[in-house]
Amino acid sequence: MASLFVIQGRDQGSRFQLEDAVHSIGRTHTHSVRLHDTEVSRNHAELIRKGNAYAVRDLGSSNGTFVNGKLVTEHELTSGDQLQVGRSLLLYTGFIDDRLEDAAGQVDIVPMAGSAIDDGSRIVASLGQTGGSEWLMPDARGSSNPWLARARSNLQIMYRTALAVSHTMDIDQLLARIMDMIFDWVEADRGCIMLKDLETGKLTPKVRRHRRGMRTEEKISISKTILDYVVEQNEGVLTSNARDDSRWDPAQSIVTLGVREAICVPMQGRYEVVGVIYIDTAVTPQKMLAAKGANQFTEEHLRLMIAIAHQAALAVEDTSYYKALVQAERLAAVGQTIASLSHHIKNILQGVRGGSYLIELGLGDHDTMAKSGERDEAAEQKAVDTIRKGWAIVERNQERISTLVMDMLTFSKEREPEPRAASLNEITAEVVELMTSRAQELSVELVWQPASDMPSLMFDPEALHRAILNVLTNAIDACDDAEQGRVTVSTHYDDDAKLARVVVEDNGGGIAPDDIEAIFTVFVSRKGGRGTGLGLPVTRKILEEHGGQVRVESTVGQGSKFTLELPATPAEAEGNQRMTQSFAAGDVP
Amino acid sequence: MSPNPRVLIVDRSRESRDVLSSLLARRGAEVLEARETSRGARVAESERPHLIVVDVEAQSGVCEDSAERLMAAAARNDAPIVVLGATRRSASPLPTSEFVAKPYQYAALIRRIEELLGSRP
Repeated sequence: MASLFVIQGRDQGSRFQLEDAVHSIGRTHTHSVRLHDTEVSRNHAELIRKGNAYAVRDLGSSNGTFVNGKLVTEHELTSGDQLQVGRSLLLYTGFIDDRLEDAAGQVDIVPMAGSAIDDGSRIVASLGQTGGSEWLMPDARGSSNPWLARARSNLQIMYRTALAVSHTMDIDQLLARIMDMIFDWVEADRGCIMLKDLETGKLTPKVRRHRRGMRTEEKISISKTILDYVVEQNEGVLTSNARDDSRWDPAQSIVTLGVREAICVPMQGRYEVVGVIYIDTAVTPQKMLAAKGANQFTEEHLRLMIAIAHQAALAVEDTSYYKALVQAERLAAVGQTIASLSHHIKNILQGVRGGSYLIELGLGDHDTMAKSGERDEAAEQKAVDTIRKGWAIVERNQERISTLVMDMLTFSKEREPEPRAASLNEITAEVVELMTSRAQELSVELVWQPASDMPSLMFDPEALHRAILNVLTNAIDACDDAEQGRVTVSTHYDDDAKLARVVVEDNGGGIAPDDIEAIFTVFVSRKGGRGTGLGLPVTRKILEEHGGQVRVESTVGQGSKFTLELPATPAEAEGNQRMTQSFAAGDVP
Repeated sequence: MSPNPRVLIVDRSRESRDVLSSLLARRGAEVLEARETSRGARVAESERPHLIVVDVEAQSGVCEDSAERLMAAAARNDAPIVVLGATRRSASPLPTSEFVAKPYQYAALIRRIEELLGSRP
């Protein structure tokens, strides 16, 4: 499957799978490729599928669309292209070329001697790894061969590309791309890449390719002796089945059958040989005569192939290590999540135990009194008070579990908001109402100032309820220590900017500037045992899903101000729709 | 338990302070409360409690200075310290006379506090 991988920008690390006929790129959630990048236009560009490739088309974006650094209006993408929109850089990977075949069963490793397929190949040249690396040095060998000059310059591009793709694709895709590049630069007929199995050390064919128009069912037969030589000696070899002394003798059968030349090179990584690359070509008698016997493959080809194989090996190693790294990071993240969740649950459990213990004591006192038969109203009242106090604590912790579960659900689900016509004032009032008793408990004054001009808007009321609740809970908790705690909740409507805001202000402890970004990090709670560490990340997620944002202003010692900003979509359209529906319902007898 | 022992509770969570102080008050203890270690240290210096309970887990990075002051005040009064929360003794900045891992059972905690107060000179 084709994909876009963000290698730079706020969404770095995100990967967008491409399979539909059209994918759009933009800043809002309506786009399948959504970038949280303020320099990306709302509707920036689109990707149009053309057979097995995608073309990118700019949709009149303000900052333009660039492919490999060039401004484009429409451009067909090929694998490895770097697409820049706004400040985000995306790497395009196309569909796997169908000329690449499943290598297993297409490649035979045969013992050289005594085999029926033995075509009499023998090594005519060999070259060590060092020779190949020297070749990479610019001007180390003053070759005037234009093919070589081009190949050498390509090598740099290849190295960079290989490194880039090694972090984004799986090994099979990476090998396929390397094979593509080899075929671009070397006139080979067939080729394959074999990787060494880490445990058994056995070479397994991974990718096989034919030159265009040369597809055959014929298997590639590679001599085991040559493979062993390449891996053990760590040298690249050039082989030919022609005999030196008879090569140019037209009387020999070679001229009628042609000559098969092959290059087989080790993929030397940082630490070991990770595999081999094999390419071969058949020189037809006609070609041989026309070229006056000049060999198809030369030592220069061998050098180039050794260099390519080395880079390919580095990329393969990077990909393997990257995979291992991603896996390790994933496990670490899971571990951290579990540790953090157990911490919160443990604190809730502690609260429940405290509450139940108070209830148990109260009931015990009550029983003792009942047994003694004496009626002491004051003592009875005291027992009931203890039970009530315990019960309040149990209830509060029950609420904390419910909040934790709801926040976890909101945070884990890739959910689209379900907008419907609703009143932001009503939703906010609900939350304020809900939190009034908590504010009273902590002696915090709760002030509610709804905007008088707030229209009915399109948004997801349940989601917004949760978003506001999390911010308000924090504000009240922040005032716990303040002398005269005061939280003001207000709504505002900005008709010019088409924005609706909910502002929650407290006069609590405030947040240090260094901590501002951290408060939105999952599982980072600044509230000791009380917070789940999910509240603000959930609020931000909900607001961003609505195309809005959360802003914080805070001064240590003076308090904080949280602004939830929502793009205002008037609810008229929905209202009409509802009306139609109710008419339709009325028609039913 | 000797009459009216003074116990200082240092815990950021109001709820935990509430539970523990009602439990101790039932046993006739005079309960002092502090939210932060720094405030706890000041109370320990001026009120000379007979025992101090500190929740280190909820303190999210106990300030070393105030922890030291709290310890010093406790040492001067020969007051044992009960540390709640940290999973390892070494993870706590306070040398403790008692150590209780979370989640704990209140009955056991109260029993232990009473024992410590009972052995007080």
